[in-house]
Amino acid sequence: MQCKKVSATRERLLDPLATEWGDIPGEALKMDATPLANQPSEYIKASRDERQIGKVRSLTVQTAHNDADVFFRLSWEDAEKNTEVTDNNVFPDGCGILIPLKEGDTPIDEMGSKDVPVNAWLWRADLKDGPRNTVAQGLGSTQFSKQCPIQAGSAWEQGRWAVVFARALSVPAQKDEAIQLAVGKPVKIGFAVWEGANGERAGVKSFSKEWRELTLEA
Amino acid sequence: MAEMTEQQKEQRRKELAAEAKSQKALLKKSNRQVAMVFDLNKCLGCQTCVVACKTMWTRDEGMEYMWWATVNTHPGKGTPRDWEKMGGGFREEEPLAGKLPTKRDFGEAWDFNYEEVFFGGKGNSVHLQPTGEPDWGPNWDEDQGGGQYPNSFYFYVQRICNHCTNPACLEACPRNAIYKREEDGIVLISQERCKGYRFCMEACPYKKIYFNHVKQTSQKCIFCYPRVEKGVAPACARQCPGRLRFVGFLDDESGPIFKLVKKWGVALPLHPELGTQPNVYYVPPISPPRFDAEGNIDESKPRIPTEYLKYLFGDKVEGALATLKEEMAKTKAGGKSEILDTLIVYEWKGLFGPFTKDPAELEPRKA
Repeated sequence: MQCKKVSATRERLLDPLATEWGDIPGEALKMDATPLANQPSEYIKASRDERQIGKVRSLTVQTAHNDADVFFRLSWEDAEKNTEVTDNNVFPDGCGILIPLKEGDTPIDEMGSKDVPVNAWLWRADLKDGPRNTVAQGLGSTQFSKQCPIQAGSAWEQGRWAVVFARALSVPAQKDEAIQLAVGKPVKIGFAVWEGANGERAGVKSFSKEWRELTLEA
Repeated sequence: MAEMTEQQKEQRRKELAAEAKSQKALLKKSNRQVAMVFDLNKCLGCQTCVVACKTMWTRDEGMEYMWWATVNTHPGKGTPRDWEKMGGGFREEEPLAGKLPTKRDFGEAWDFNYEEVFFGGKGNSVHLQPTGEPDWGPNWDEDQGGGQYPNSFYFYVQRICNHCTNPACLEACPRNAIYKREEDGIVLISQERCKGYRFCMEACPYKKIYFNHVKQTSQKCIFCYPRVEKGVAPACARQCPGRLRFVGFLDDESGPIFKLVKKWGVALPLHPELGTQPNVYYVPPISPPRFDAEGNIDESKPRIPTEYLKYLFGDKVEGALATLKEEMAKTKAGGKSEILDTLIVYEWKGLFGPFTKDPAELEPRKA
């Protein structure tokens, strides 16, 4: 996955509907249900049918950087937007990016390990105060960072969500909890989408089944 | 990373499942267990326990609709409405799918016209009443009960979190945010670990977990653990004017809980078939006699159908009721009954085992 070098500003690219995004190629990723057998809850395993998990089966990813900031635009079809948790049985739409914080083998469907923690960027339609930076060291271990270096912009139009994540390429103050990105330093990357209307939350979601390699264009 | 073979994947799944299982076993472990016994024959439905809990624990924003302690008449829909039909729990140790109760099912917190009555100058012309037209709330169907006049019946059922030995909520949480305290078996939801996914709410067959929409975490009865730690009984029990809420350790052979549950078998868990092994027990209600068609007392059949009590408390309820009746016969004949003396509670301290300390004697919490 190529992260295209652009000159556009953060302000522009944070708008998922900005014309600049029209010049940045997108890659359509096939999404799959997360494996039920990996769920860290016997209840989830017993109460769900894997065929019903992961309503969103295709995700388009565009990515760009301007030497200072990196941008990801995730878009997917969703006939009904779920933006508010209005009741106990209502769940919001969401999407996320996953990048291992260190080199080394870590299966994409295990949310990292003690040896290879992963950094997840999380956007959820109901979060009024913006996205979350999280670190995980295995299934069910996700922790929000106190400070979030990520910004997000989102738009739902004509049955489609478009969400942009923006962040400085490097965040030296948070090197244990935020991936440091640079030109010429490829990283593994994965993606997830939660369809709120399908009750998707936590590990119940659709995800890109294999790691992709993300390289930043010089 | 090299692609895993199917065999390797299967192996890895087994490892992950084993890891999760051992973590759950640790979270479930407790060395002792506190428990409560409610004597259904003594409850007058005054709701003092409910309000004691409300004023102590659920006054913050996001907790308006929460009632960690509830009292409903049965037969009835209960709180939340029709919770007995919402699934969850276990069958032969396999978790069962459950439904999420809605805010309406619980009975949303009603707003009242306080402003109008107290500050709007209408104190003499307008009644204090809910705004809007609520059509459900906790104990909404009070006293509807069951049976046909003159053999109609109802009784109150008090409910809190059951602090189960095999909690379905704990098993369900993918974040291991729910645990039993080692020292007393109280089940708590770590408000730091909880991310509000609500699998616990789905899985709890008693539907005693609430979602806090402000904090975005799940919350429930905490058995007043800060009081229990200081030797003070939980607020619901301490404030009960009917002296029907016993508190103590299940293994304390000198205490009333052990005697009522283990020794005499007159206190039973609610819906034991749900497989969570609750630690709240009920002394079943003794039926008043029936009237026959001529209006004469008919002692041959209980007014509360035994089938209904078996539905609530399992097959052991017949034995428990038989014991209670034998004991009553004993005292009627002039004899003594340790079981009845225990249930009568001549001294309130007899209710609470080691938790008799006066909360007024505690040092005030530092600001």
